[in-house]
Amino acid sequence: MRSRHFLSGLTALASILFLLSDQGLAQTPKRGGTLRVSYGNEIANLDFHTAPGYEMMWVAMNVGCGLVNITPDGKFVGDAAESWQVTPDGLLYTFKLRKNVLFHDGTPVDAAAVKFSIDRLMDPATKSGMRPFYEAVHSVEVLDPLAVQIRLKQPYAFMLHMLAAYRTGLVLYSPTATQKYTLQDRQQGKPGAVVGCGPFKLIEWVKGSHLVMDRFDKYFQPGLPLLDRVMIRVIKDPVTEMAAFKAGEIDFIASFSPEHVDTLKAQNPKAQIMTGKETTPMLAAMKVTVPKDGKPMSKERAPHPIFGDLRVRKAVGCYGLDRQEIVKIAFKGQATPWVGMNPPGTLDTVDVNHLCPYDPTKAKALLAEAGYGPAKPLTFEVMADTEKSVFNIIATVIKEQMARIGVTANIRVLDKVSWMNTTLQDGPWDMYVEDLLSLITLDSNGYLSNSTSSWSHPRHNDPKVDEYYARYARELDPAKRKVIAKELVEFMADKMYWNNVSGSPFFMVAQPSMKGYVYNAEFQVHFHKVWLDK
Amino acid sequence: MADGDGLPPSTGRVIRGGSAGEAELPSVGGLAWPAARDRSQSPFAQGLRRLRKNKIALVGAGIVALLLVVAAFADVLAPRSPITADQTRTFQRPSWEYPLGTDQLGRDMLSRIIHGTRVSLVVGVSSVLLALFLGVPIGLIAGYHGGRTDTVLMRAMDLILAFPIYLLAILLMVIFTPTAGLIGAVKVTGAIAIVRIPIYARLVRGSVLSIKEKEYIEACRALGTGSSSTLIRHILPNCMAPIIVTTTLGIATSIIVEATLSFLGLGTQPPTPSWGWDLKANISFIQANAWLSLFPGLAIFVTVLGFNLFGDGLRDALDPRLK
Amino acid sequence: MSIYILRRLLGIVPTVLMITLVVFVMMRSVPGDPVVALLGDAYTEEDAIKARVAYGLDKPILVQYVIWLGRLVQGDWGTSVLSGRPVLKDVLVRLPVTLELIVLSMAVALAIAIPAAIIGAVKQNTWPDYTATTVAMIGVSIPEFFVGVLLLLAFSFGLGGLLPSSGWVYLPGTCPSMVCGVSLWGNMQHVLMPAIALGIGRAAILTRLLRTSMLEVIRTEYVTTARAKGVSERRIVLKHALKNALIPTVTVMGLQVGFLIGGAIVVETLFAMPGLGTFGIDAIFARDYQQVQGFALVTALAFVVINLLVDLTYTFLDPRIRYA
Repeated sequence: MRSRHFLSGLTALASILFLLSDQGLAQTPKRGGTLRVSYGNEIANLDFHTAPGYEMMWVAMNVGCGLVNITPDGKFVGDAAESWQVTPDGLLYTFKLRKNVLFHDGTPVDAAAVKFSIDRLMDPATKSGMRPFYEAVHSVEVLDPLAVQIRLKQPYAFMLHMLAAYRTGLVLYSPTATQKYTLQDRQQGKPGAVVGCGPFKLIEWVKGSHLVMDRFDKYFQPGLPLLDRVMIRVIKDPVTEMAAFKAGEIDFIASFSPEHVDTLKAQNPKAQIMTGKETTPMLAAMKVTVPKDGKPMSKERAPHPIFGDLRVRKAVGCYGLDRQEIVKIAFKGQATPWVGMNPPGTLDTVDVNHLCPYDPTKAKALLAEAGYGPAKPLTFEVMADTEKSVFNIIATVIKEQMARIGVTANIRVLDKVSWMNTTLQDGPWDMYVEDLLSLITLDSNGYLSNSTSSWSHPRHNDPKVDEYYARYARELDPAKRKVIAKELVEFMADKMYWNNVSGSPFFMVAQPSMKGYVYNAEFQVHFHKVWLDK
Repeated sequence: MADGDGLPPSTGRVIRGGSAGEAELPSVGGLAWPAARDRSQSPFAQGLRRLRKNKIALVGAGIVALLLVVAAFADVLAPRSPITADQTRTFQRPSWEYPLGTDQLGRDMLSRIIHGTRVSLVVGVSSVLLALFLGVPIGLIAGYHGGRTDTVLMRAMDLILAFPIYLLAILLMVIFTPTAGLIGAVKVTGAIAIVRIPIYARLVRGSVLSIKEKEYIEACRALGTGSSSTLIRHILPNCMAPIIVTTTLGIATSIIVEATLSFLGLGTQPPTPSWGWDLKANISFIQANAWLSLFPGLAIFVTVLGFNLFGDGLRDALDPRLK
Repeated sequence: MSIYILRRLLGIVPTVLMITLVVFVMMRSVPGDPVVALLGDAYTEEDAIKARVAYGLDKPILVQYVIWLGRLVQGDWGTSVLSGRPVLKDVLVRLPVTLELIVLSMAVALAIAIPAAIIGAVKQNTWPDYTATTVAMIGVSIPEFFVGVLLLLAFSFGLGGLLPSSGWVYLPGTCPSMVCGVSLWGNMQHVLMPAIALGIGRAAILTRLLRTSMLEVIRTEYVTTARAKGVSERRIVLKHALKNALIPTVTVMGLQVGFLIGGAIVVETLFAMPGLGTFGIDAIFARDYQQVQGFALVTALAFVVINLLVDLTYTFLDPRIRYA
């Protein structure tokens, strides 16, 4: 019948048109091209196991490969490992490696290489920042060329998280290349010395100018990476960065200053601005103890003259800070006021904002209890370093808020290295404003906030915190872990050992032509599936 | 930085170095006025007359005077406190209530600029005066005593001069660690002053050397007059003119150096209102809120221009060679 | 004469040594050291102590300096603790950029100064003279970085991004690394704004100098003679006065190098140029001792060599100057 033919013909035509439209053709990834990336800070050096800084880590995630990766929704996917098994007691992890994974120098990624890499990270002589993460590891064994087993001393619920995304995650080093070249060769990015198993191989690094990585033809994922080349430039000034972005000189800004996001959006309405729940805490940390004998990092501690008193810590940090106001001024509302130790985007995050509402009256009362008042006014110093201008802004708002409760806060601005020098070496300070490491799990914050770690700047010496962390890490039941997490976070807020102000927002910006990038905060920056729609 | 002519001097050594431009005033050799002067024809009276005729210099002088008034009466002139933040009023455009708008923390830019005059002038003027008070005696002593004292002192001066001005100032500020408030301003003052001491030392030394040969100094010595009084009464007045000119121009340079140090994050730290800091901090917002950095920049420019015009006029007025 | 040159060449050495020693000591008086920056958030006291020993940072300062000198004499400028990069290599990579910036800045300064000086000399003490002087004075009264910011505002953010705001494209043949943009046009685009920002400040002193020198020449005898011969006024000014005025100008330009190196630090930072200026300031902030030494050394060398050339120029061109 005519009408039926007509109708089916129309449907067929419609289907063809639909397939030919956006949904169909334009989404086919194109191969080739150079991705031009902009960093806001310089890369320190290219020895992935020891160098500090996100800038290095993001290079490591593309030049290097590990055992597993983690997706934005928290699932583990194999990297060099094809599959893995964990014994019910959580003590034995067996990884089966893919057959065709090669290092850039042609040597195979086998179990021996995995053992070599982990042993190296655990070796104190390497001085790797990731060594503490492997505390639970007893030993690594090669079962056969493609199977490696990690034996733990005690159960560690976050073993896979750690291998995937604590700092760089595990980065496999080629035993051949590591033994052939020196530490300095790797640090400076000498051709041939920086060897990984990732989708891109390092071509050249000229500090202060650029870093170039090219497609590794023998990458184990067929057809990937799509890009020919990734070129990273360092543009420190956000205004210059914005100008370069607007002019189309760069395709991707790896970490963009939150203060300027609105301006960039206004200038580039089609730009892709990627962000999520904050994973980095913004702190107004208060020092809890000082060395008793004046020697830095001394095991003998005495309470800090001002913030050693819990009442003062609570008055200043808990009730004296209007976190809403700080977020409004410093981040134009684009962050979350937050009291809990781990930020909103971290696994097992806990909202304890109700424990520390803004209450100037209560703050003043606590201060009076502690002996401060008009007769004996409280004065302290807030440190802010110049790495990000937002630290100074927050410090200024804090100063203002302290004035409302009769406290004088003096601001000291210093450069990053001076700041590090003071905080890392147990130097004299009262409070600082800083955003520390981004946290994928609450466990990853152990090394910044337990009582024994040298990275724990407030230097509280409360072993109860360590107990919580240990219990949390060893608990294999996720539901029970959540309970422990809640207790730990509430405890930290109650004792004000960790004074969170808000989350520290993280933004990445891409040109509309950059496709295929999966945003996973600071934890996983991978370019292997990225393609340029030009 | 409006520095000396740099004409090859007719006597003495060539003064060279990173910040030595101003020391090369040809007037170093040429301004050794004879001791006997007719009051009404004194070089200063003549100079003043010439100065009054130089309209541009008068404009400069006017600017300087205005700035001094603003700095002195900043508390009265500024409508608000420069450091009080008002978070409900951030990034306000210039309006009747906020003539120059507000910044990221809601602070009134007009008040900040008015108070910033203090920091800039204090740092600018005191750094130069400090350099003067330290450099002039060094130059006097070196020139008068000669010999080993001269060599040692001048070697030290050469060392400072050999540094590019910013390199030394940056290093000094990194060592001093930039701070806020008065102490911060003092540190910046010190850093800039140290860099400028050699200019005065060389200036005065050159003057001393050219006068030393004059007989009346010998006569003073023969008469047994104390050396310090000789120095002060006879030599010093002859260097007055170049010192005045160098000082005025030096203030201009100091203000620029202070602004540049702030741009690099090494100047007086917030919340102390400083033009250099405001300029740097607000460059980030230049596309949406250009006035926030333009106004401090303009303030720096006008101030430095004023001192430069005035100093230039002084130089023309006091240097008899240029007619 | 040649003995004089030889003596001056030898005299370079103590000056350079003094400068590098002072910088050496100053850097070690600053809070923080490369080990702090190197270990970053992985800092532990034991690791730091071991690292300091390994890099020789625990020895007395003067001993460290002598060690540095010893290596320097063998051609080893040291290796950065922070990045593992050889210092000399990085200095050589960055040198062409700063060199080009400084040379072009001087060109900009002259391009402003020569016309302004001519106007000033020919029409002395009239309004055009005052205007020219004031214009030059304006240039010298604005901090370099502010000029840079205004230029950025006008040409990078405004006018549809006419000029690039950052980065660098090398001149053909000067690419120091494997991968670089190379093109004459690209290079010109990248260097134009920085050169203007840096050069404007230098124009004033050059204008003044040129003008004064030209005025002197104009008054001298042989120009009067040339007038008598009937050569047009303009040619007198341009040919004789200018040529003779250029001699002291060139020498003064050499003396301006100090300001230029300092200004380059600031301009390079603003325009994110991979030159020696950013090299130096980044090294200072990162406490990269070895890089700072490299920067101080190359700066000091440039300085004293240029001063030597200036002095020699004086001697050749002005026999009045006597050197013992």
